[in-house]
Order: sequence, then structure tokens, then C-alpha cells
Amino acid sequence: MISLGSKWPKSALSARLLVLAIALVVAFPLLSTSDQARAANDGLSKDDQLCLACHGESGAEKAMAEGEKLSLHIKGKAFAASVHNAIGCSACHADIDLAKHPAPSKNKQTLREFSIAKVEICRQCHEDKFKLYEGSIHASLLRSGNPMAPLCSDCHEPHAVRAKAAASGPIDEVACRTCHGAVFKVYAQSVHGLARAKDPSGGAPICADCHRSHDVAAASSGNQIKEACLGCHFNALQLHKSWLPNAAHHFEAVSCPACHAPMAPRRVDLKLYDSSAKERVTEKLGVPRFESRTKLADSKGQGLDALALQSLLKEFNRDNDEGDTILRGRLEVDGGPETHMLTAKGSAIKDCKACHREGAAPFQKVSISIVGPDGRPLRYGAQQDVLQAPTSVDSVRGFYAIGGTRIKLLDILLVLALASGVVVPIGHLSLKWLASKYLPKSSDKPAPGEATSGTDTRQS
Amino acid sequence: MHELYVHPLPVRIWHWINALSFIIMIVTGIQIRYIGLIDIMSFKAAVDLHNGIGFVLIANFFVWFFFYLFSDKIRVYHPELSPMKHFTASFRQMKFYGYGIFKGQPNPHHVSVYHKFNAMQSMTYQIVMLLLVPIQFFTGVLLWDVERFQAGINVFGGLRVVDTVHVLIFIFFAGFIFIHPYLASLGHTWSAHFKAMITGYEEIEDEQA
Repeated sequence: MISLGSKWPKSALSARLLVLAIALVVAFPLLSTSDQARAANDGLSKDDQLCLACHGESGAEKAMAEGEKLSLHIKGKAFAASVHNAIGCSACHADIDLAKHPAPSKNKQTLREFSIAKVEICRQCHEDKFKLYEGSIHASLLRSGNPMAPLCSDCHEPHAVRAKAAASGPIDEVACRTCHGAVFKVYAQSVHGLARAKDPSGGAPICADCHRSHDVAAASSGNQIKEACLGCHFNALQLHKSWLPNAAHHFEAVSCPACHAPMAPRRVDLKLYDSSAKERVTEKLGVPRFESRTKLADSKGQGLDALALQSLLKEFNRDNDEGDTILRGRLEVDGGPETHMLTAKGSAIKDCKACHREGAAPFQKVSISIVGPDGRPLRYGAQQDVLQAPTSVDSVRGFYAIGGTRIKLLDILLVLALASGVVVPIGHLSLKWLASKYLPKSSDKPAPGEATSGTDTRQS
Repeated sequence: MHELYVHPLPVRIWHWINALSFIIMIVTGIQIRYIGLIDIMSFKAAVDLHNGIGFVLIANFFVWFFFYLFSDKIRVYHPELSPMKHFTASFRQMKFYGYGIFKGQPNPHHVSVYHKFNAMQSMTYQIVMLLLVPIQFFTGVLLWDVERFQAGINVFGGLRVVDTVHVLIFIFFAGFIFIHPYLASLGHTWSAHFKAMITGYEEIEDEQA
């Protein structure tokens, strides 16, 4: 039992603090029996109701560093409906010393520093999710000092968090929208977004279903997104095999949206790949090679040509004692938001000519990429003809689309071969005819040759 | 004039299946490579036909291979081991096609059961049948299912390298398919060798005493 005599609030304290202290005295016996303390009233425990006696008032805020304000207002109704209602305020705010609350001094942290510090509180209960987050592009951005990198509280409003809110809520409420507004706008008009808006519980995917919620990776790296597509469309390969030659290879070399977002612009991304380690080449933090080497190779600034590409590959192979750095090409949609312009199956590109004819649109833009230190790709433009130059046979060995990226020199050789096939016989025949007309016939006798007799002869 | 049985039945069957299949392969190959420029059939139909006929050709190759392997007729493919003799005979043959034929000189090569190819044919067919055709089949199978044979494709330098080799040999055959029948028409009559490849009997002019 705590003696209140010596700690009774002095008249100098604010009226608000006095109310809080009185409320605490009344509520204190209930703290030791928290299971019984859950009150039906508003769905909040009496302890939490006491907190909300102050924090429930709108406009409550605290001064932070650099003139920022931290809102102290908690919406009681939302908190009561949240999953955190079950653990109550004190579970996360155990650092609050009721005797000194509220602290009179100004907080020296910025809002961002405050939020980063609070991540550790989330971690205490959500260690599994935190581990996933640590491997994510979001955590990578945080480590690199990106001020926009999302923290737990940026996606999960801690005082209103609901069980799997992202999975069943209206699409407008999805947290990803805050940072990825442009993507969301396109998604909302896609086959997935429209289906989701029509029936939120119908199973149409929203952001986290494809990109995952905590271990979200850069969309263009790895196979995470492809696996997400195939997670729902599990028989897609079989369906494609029924009409698409080399379907399995198409699944590797062409991203799903490249055909299923038919209105989106496309490009070929030639990814630097370590064939011995069987992984994409990654830029090491603090050792920027890609930008300097691409700029050096592209002295004219017009994009890497076939020879510049060869020289760039040589540079990366010098770093790679054991393996062979190659380029693995992939046909993708050009642009993150555009990747989400997915349409209904019937509208997908199914005409082989779209890619396999000369000058096909998807091969008019080419980039070279490496995985950046934060997991996002670093790209540099290449000239379109790197896909067709004879000198690219080795450097772009990992990407080839019949017809669409054919080598012009081979076309010339084919024309010469066909022309020779026609012209040589016609020319020879013409000479023979002219000779028979104008040259005297030779009186040569057959040269003695090999025996013409055999066991299988007959007279004619 | 007498007739000599030079082309056994299995060889004739192999030859005509080969001839027809090569024409289809070249037409479909051109269609696949130049879709949009030439539209004889759909890309899908061209690919399916190209793949199917490709396997027919592979099977047919083994008809040829096993026939010659297990018969004494393999002697027709025995190489001339003396380079001097080989090049002298080749030069004599080239001289005939480039000059002698215009003067009405007789063909210096005399067909026999075990020596049906002239020196130029002998060298060409050894290269074609033992090098180019197997490479073409091999690269074709790799390209038929790129994912299944990805490891093999990588060993040979990647998809673009394998395809370039396939196309280079295709270009050779595209020219060859015109030259071959023309040369076949240079018998004592234009149709003599064609008939021989149907009946099996070559018409041989009797040597004058």
C-alpha cells in the first residue's frame, strides 16, 4: 500500500494532474487484479478509462524538439475496439511514472526519434513480426537514414489497431496508401482493386497479399511477387502451357504484368547476376561501383551501347574472382505504379507478335540494374540496340526473344544465303546454256574413274 | 547405259522424309523469325510445326545413322585419308562444275555402289551429317524447352549463343536447299538423279572402249 500523505499534489500542480491523481487513488486497488478490472463500461478497463480521462480530450498535445507537437489524444472508442484494448495502456506505457506524470519538461526528441524509440515497445510482444520487418525494404531504408522509412506506428495506429485490419478493411483505409498513393490510385482501377472495392472479403488481393506486410521486399528483386501471383493463380503455368510455347521460360523471362497490364509501358531490365553465387549482384554500402562504372562506360551519356556494356561487365568480373558476372534479362513493366495496371484475363496480351516481331514495343527501352544497398534496384539506361548487336551475343547471353531481338547481321546472312541459292543455280544454268550455244563442245573422253560395276546392276 | 543400285530403300525413305522436313523447317523457321514480315501461318502454328517436324527429323536421322552403322554401305562415307588425293579430286570436281560442264566434258566422278559421292559431296555430307545436323538438332532441342535445358544452355554460353548457332546453321541449310537440287539436276539428264533417288538405280553411262 502506497502512502499518499507526503505525495498529495500541491496547489501548484495543474487541475488536470489533480484529477488524475485522485482517480488513481480510487483505482489503485484494482491494478493488482487486472483480470477482474475489465469493465463493461465502454469496453475499457477502469485503468484505461482513467488514462483516457485526460488523453481522451481532443487537442491534448506535447511539445517536442524542433517545434513539433506530439498529439496525446487517444480516441476512446477506437482504442476500445482495438486489439490493444486487451492489454491496456500500461502494457506499452510501462515507462510512465504516475508520480511524475505528466512530465513537466519538454521532450527533447523529435517526433521521428520518439517513434523510432517506441518501435522497441512493439517488439516486446511482436518479436516474430519485428524479425520479418528487420529484413524488409522498409527496415533497410530506416537503417540507411531515410526519414520516410515507415515504422510500426506508421502502418498500425497503435491505439486503433484491429486484427488483420489490412486484410478485411475498405481499400481506402489501407496504410500503404499514405506513402504509395500513386500506386494505390492505379491499383484501385485494376482488376484486383475493383474486385476488392466491390467485395472486401471476396479474396481479391490488396497490397500486403502480394508484397507481404512486414517482410516487404523491393518489388523488382527476387521472386516474391511472382510467387504471390502464383499463390492465388496456382494453375497459371498449366493454363499457359496449353497455348504458350516455352511457357516455363516465359514465366522466368517475362513478369506477369508485362502481359497482364497490356496498357503499361514495358522495358527489358538486364540484371547483373553472379552466376557462381546464383544471386543478383548487390551494391555494397559505402562502396558505390555501379553509378561510377556506368557513367565511365557511357562517356557520351547516351546510354550504354554494346561495347560499353562489355566493358562494364569486364569491370564487374574483375571483382568476381570465383564466378562469372552475367546479365540476366527480364521483360518488365516500366514503372512501379504502372505494374499495378492489371486487367481481366481476357484483356491480357496473347498475341505472340506483340513481342516476337521486329521493332516490338517491349524491346525499345533497356536498362541495366544492380541491387542497391537498401534493396532497391539501381538502374542505368542502355541503348536499345544492345539487344540486337552481334557484339552483345556474349554480354546479353541471358536474354533473347526470337524475332523481337534478332541480330540484324544474321538477317543479312540469310538474305545472302537465299539469294545465293537462287542466283547461283540460275547463273550457272545460264552460263551452261550460253556455253552450249556459243562454245565448241569438248572432245574430251571420260576420265578414267572408279569402277562403275557392282553387284546391283541392270542394263537399260 | 546400265543401271546401278546405289540408293537402298532405307536411304531413299530417309532422304525424302528429310527433304520434305527440311523444307517445312526452313519455311516455319523463317515464319518464326520474321513474324509480322511474313504471315504464312500464325506464330504458334509455326512453332508447333517446327517443333514437331524437328523431332521427326531427329528420328529420321537415326534411321540413316543405324542403317549405315549396321551395313557395309557405310563405306560411302569413309573419308579419303590422303589429303592430297582428296583435294586433287575436289579440285577436279570444282573444275568440272566451273568450267568442264560448260564445255560438255564428262563428269570426272564415276558412281559406284560404295563410292557414290564425288570428293566435294563426300566432304560436304560428312560435315553436314556428322557435324551440322547433330548440332542443329542439339541446339533445337535446347530451344524447344529452354527452362528444362537451362543448365545445358548455360554451359554452351547462354540462350543467345545457342540461338545464334541454330540460326547460322539454319542459314546454311536455307541456301543448301536450293543448291542441292540444282546440283542433283546436273546428271546426264536433269531428272536422272531425282529418278535414282526414287527407284534406287542410278543410270550409268557405259565407258567407251
